[in-house]
Amino acid sequence: MSKSPVNTKLNKEKNLAMVIVGDRCIGCDACYVACKTDWEVPALKEAYRTKVYEVEGVDNHGNPTIGFLPTLCNHCDNAPCVSVCPTGASFKREEDGIVLVEPDMCIGCKACMVACPYDARYYDEEKQSVDKCTFCLPRISNGLDPACVTTCVGESRNFGDLNDSGSVVSQLIRNATSIARLKEDEGTLPNVYYVTVSDY
Amino acid sequence: MRRHELNRRGFLKLAGVSSVAFGAATTGLPSPLRASAEARKNRGQRFTTYDRGVKTPNFCEMCFWNCGVDVYTRDGKVHKLEGNKLNPNNRGHLCAKGNAGIQSTYDPDRVPGPMIRVGERGEGKFKKVSWEEAFDEVHRRLAPLLDKYGGETLATFMHGTGEQYAHTLTLALESPNITVPAYSQCMGSREMAWALTFGTGVSGHETYDMAYSKHMMIFGRNMAGAIQVREAEDFAEGLARGARLTYIDPRQSESAVRATDWLQIQPGTDGALALGFIHVIIRDRLYDVDFITKYAHGFNELQAHVKQFTPEWAEKKCGIDARTIERIAWEFAKDAPNVVAIPARRMTRYGNDTQTVRAIAILNALMGNWGVPGGIFVRTSVPLELPEHEHPEVPDVQRADGVGEGEAYPLAPPSLGRTNGIFEATLTQKPYPIKAWLLYGTNPLSHSSIGVNKIFEAIKNLDLIIAIDTQFSDTVMYADIVLPESTYLERDDAPFIQKDKIPFVALRKAAIKPIYDTKGAFDICKGIAEKFELDDWFEERSPEQQNAALERALTKEQRETLERDGVLRFEDVDPYPVASGSRPVFMTGTGKVQLFVDDLVAMHKEHGEAFSPLPVYLDPPEPKTGEFRLLFGRTPHHSHARSQNNWILLELQSDTPVWIHPDDAHKLGIKKGDKVQIHSDATGYTSRPEAVKITRRIKAGSLFINHGFGHRTPLWHLGDLKGTKDNYFISDGIDPISGAAAFHNGFVTITKATS
Repeated sequence: MSKSPVNTKLNKEKNLAMVIVGDRCIGCDACYVACKTDWEVPALKEAYRTKVYEVEGVDNHGNPTIGFLPTLCNHCDNAPCVSVCPTGASFKREEDGIVLVEPDMCIGCKACMVACPYDARYYDEEKQSVDKCTFCLPRISNGLDPACVTTCVGESRNFGDLNDSGSVVSQLIRNATSIARLKEDEGTLPNVYYVTVSDY
Repeated sequence: MRRHELNRRGFLKLAGVSSVAFGAATTGLPSPLRASAEARKNRGQRFTTYDRGVKTPNFCEMCFWNCGVDVYTRDGKVHKLEGNKLNPNNRGHLCAKGNAGIQSTYDPDRVPGPMIRVGERGEGKFKKVSWEEAFDEVHRRLAPLLDKYGGETLATFMHGTGEQYAHTLTLALESPNITVPAYSQCMGSREMAWALTFGTGVSGHETYDMAYSKHMMIFGRNMAGAIQVREAEDFAEGLARGARLTYIDPRQSESAVRATDWLQIQPGTDGALALGFIHVIIRDRLYDVDFITKYAHGFNELQAHVKQFTPEWAEKKCGIDARTIERIAWEFAKDAPNVVAIPARRMTRYGNDTQTVRAIAILNALMGNWGVPGGIFVRTSVPLELPEHEHPEVPDVQRADGVGEGEAYPLAPPSLGRTNGIFEATLTQKPYPIKAWLLYGTNPLSHSSIGVNKIFEAIKNLDLIIAIDTQFSDTVMYADIVLPESTYLERDDAPFIQKDKIPFVALRKAAIKPIYDTKGAFDICKGIAEKFELDDWFEERSPEQQNAALERALTKEQRETLERDGVLRFEDVDPYPVASGSRPVFMTGTGKVQLFVDDLVAMHKEHGEAFSPLPVYLDPPEPKTGEFRLLFGRTPHHSHARSQNNWILLELQSDTPVWIHPDDAHKLGIKKGDKVQIHSDATGYTSRPEAVKITRRIKAGSLFINHGFGHRTPLWHLGDLKGTKDNYFISDGIDPISGAAAFHNGFVTITKATS
């Protein structure tokens, strides 16, 4: 039996994850706007909780290629932003693994922003706190999907509990023909998965 | 560049991470800074509540495609827009523009109330007046012009949900000159060709059944970049289900992301390629014999006609290898009838556009894909009996735009008109003086079809420009009277009724009260009509009355569904009649799919090859040595004119880098990081310095910039002068059959900016 394709190190009640079907992203950036709007992310180009990169490349014949890479906080099980935080403002919820910043405890040292390998954090001058994706905890606590998942035009983004074998994310992981995570070699144990699926 | 390089956020460097903070972070903090156990326990409590607020139903007006929107308000302020899951236009999703609709409403640069111009045209100096004063001013200035020149001196341009009221007002004032730019500046040639072939247009909500298609052959329709949500969803869904994608475009757009084959075609030669495909399909007997025998007119003529269009001929014209043309034709036919060939949407390109789309339409017909899954679905009207409103009669006066029987463009629909014809008439004051424009949600000084240089000349002939708009557009800067419309979040509107694959009705209810002194289009047009004592035409027409009439036509159960969901779907329809074994209806002259168009025979004899009743390819004009063809197209982040002062969309894109092929850049000594300027001898314009994007994603010999930029509106704090306006450099050609514009024969030079 090969090792599990998903994180199992922490004994979380819920194993929340975002599973992105890469082929379905059309680079429309609806997620970026839905997210910024819902969470009143500052009106700054550098402030965002999710972002889609357009990746240009070259194929074997020398022809140009393009692809899209949606990114957000990976809510890592081994989160460098949490271990580096001097006050405990950056923390990981034991019950579901969501990584949050408690604004009242943040002193704005930005060490977490430097530590994060995914560039997932920004500083909110008004809140005087670092801020980031919360996996839309306020929404999911009230029975809604995250804002980016709700609006995703290509239905590329999926969210749910990997401990629930019936969830969409579990099904996608089971049916995936490939599974990748960003910068796995850094040992961060990210919870955002990029999959390709052949069976719909 | 549109998107950042994958690097650290700029402000981390700018804001400065002090060495003290760094030190503290890395060495651990003194104990007073460590939080108490109590504080640690309460961390994150604030993140578990979410007040969704009050929901009101709406449909989007950030572009013209009216996706269903659930508007959520807290304490009388809109805080979130979400897609309506049941609306067939978007199935719960919104694009970037749709999500950013809130910012348009709360934009501090909106038109705060009715305005009368006090400065020079274009200067942006207005005085605010009351609505009564504004309506009086319209009457005071318009009435003498109508008296002197006749009603036809008024030309109306309209685009948006309130069109019906501007339409009624214009007819009541006795002008036939009503135009919708969506025809002659966008879809005209596509719709003309489809209608000549199938008896109906593709329609604004396109009837390609991409979600279930096995092979999408797309000729320059940027499904992923020029976003219309349902089309983008279906495109992504079809690809995810394993459809082949043949994407044909001189530019590798967003839609080429998963192309099985991207054919980097020579610009303007799509018709030659389509004819090459047709040649192979007929030569190798790969067409749907049953469908063609039963439902097509003119197959024998077509068969004889396309013998000349061999793959080798097509290769010479379009630059795509003959063997590739054969292979793709075979692959396409193998998956028939669940395949679809898709023309560009804005088919105002090379002046041979109607003929090009005729060839693409015929490709579909040969596959027998009409009314079958994965091909072209058939729309059904909403099955409701709604009261017919009495409209003023269209005055019996020659139109100024060359549309009508015996005119230059007899096939063009008078219901849509030709904006390019109106511009020309305004410039020349022929066939009669055009002295007044009424603009409803349109921006011709930014996006015209005769070249912006000529537009500025043309408007000097106007004694009056009246603009109804939500914002200070480029054109509003030149208006004499500005009548501000409430945004879609602030106003009730008549029900949205859509003929479609699943026909439906959607509601728009004001989520908030107007923030400024604005009105809906009904009240504005009726207010003008009252001054002319023509307001009888507006009886029983208010949004409230039309919503009440709709309710009366519904059953109790339907009313409750509509009230609850904001949308009512009529699902008892068959979008696939041919697959179901029913006989399809084609509203053409022959009642069949017209491979040969009898209606073009006389014009063909009189005016020549461009009017051929069988599809032909005509070479587009070519640039002179040293010149480039300027291509342009949409970005997913912006519309033509309604998104440019929207901070969140400007974050996503605020400039127009000029795309150039590496070989061309090398010849001109242009390097990565340089600024460049483009110049047109034809229009005399030179762009401001822009970034350059050197990439093989654009065909050598052509340049590309995004559309929707370069607005000149001094009253905008954010969107003024962002990027370059394609309209300064494009061509003013005309497709001879449709009468729609041809923009892609604009030739420019490009130089490294010296400053």
